[in-house]
Amino acid sequence: MISQLSVDLHDARLAVDAVLDAARSSEKPLAISVVDPGGNVVYQLRQDGASSVDVRHAERKAYTGAYIGRDTSMWRLQILHDGRTVADWANPNLTTLHGGWTLRRDGAVIGGLGVSGSGDEDRDEQLALKGAEALAGLAVAAWRAQRNPVRIRDRSAR
Amino acid sequence: MFSQNRLALAEAERARDAVLAALTPNDNPVALAIADDHGVPILLLRQDGAPTRMLSRARAKAYTAATLGLDTVVFRDQHVNATWRSLNDWGDPMLTTLQGGLVVRSGETVVGGIAMSGNSTTRDEALAHIGLRAMDLRP
Repeated sequence: MISQLSVDLHDARLAVDAVLDAARSSEKPLAISVVDPGGNVVYQLRQDGASSVDVRHAERKAYTGAYIGRDTSMWRLQILHDGRTVADWANPNLTTLHGGWTLRRDGAVIGGLGVSGSGDEDRDEQLALKGAEALAGLAVAAWRAQRNPVRIRDRSAR
Repeated sequence: MFSQNRLALAEAERARDAVLAALTPNDNPVALAIADDHGVPILLLRQDGAPTRMLSRARAKAYTAATLGLDTVVFRDQHVNATWRSLNDWGDPMLTTLQGGLVVRSGETVVGGIAMSGNSTTRDEALAHIGLRAMDLRP
């Protein structure tokens, strides 16, 4: 048996809320998707006015971030450098559109987050990063909460 | 040009909150899908431990209810079973006859679909009804 970490619904909603908080009210409406390490949707929403294409792209970006284990913009640079195209992977769910981030915990892929709809794929990427950062912040807080009591116990044992 | 009422994210979020609040310890982890009148998702949710297929089913149920304008159980009983046909006759791989998908209407107008999966199909439908009521749609 092996155990695999996965983003849970609580964290997925937190990440989506972080993206929504970071988006300016003047910006175009977004679609945001969070998937587990297998690329399956955990939480996804579409703001009023975002299109069905945005929904598809957000999910494909999140899927790519989780499946490939690289952010979609970095993966694009890599396959351009290697002289390949996304078609080489024979997987129609993959995309190199910017705005898909790999979610990690302790180095392991725990999911992916995709944003689409801002009208600028680099802005999609900036917004997706806000969601990934929110989860990373959560991980750091959890690590600190675990670490501090251990230190206190260690001192008292001496 | 024409103007059309569309289901808003705020209504989907009200349904989400009502469904999550209605779950009991006896329920399995669930999946929820809320789609617009074209069957395109507005909000998708899969609880921790719910298998992937649950969200696939919920998406299909919401799509079916929204695009046909029929609760999935009505589609199954009055359109598929009653005419001795199969889903193949409709030529759309996203359609399903699984119970648990409900039409969302504003007055007489179909504005979307809401669906649950994860429990028995009757419980799925009962939970979807709770979400539908919480949307509080008025004509």
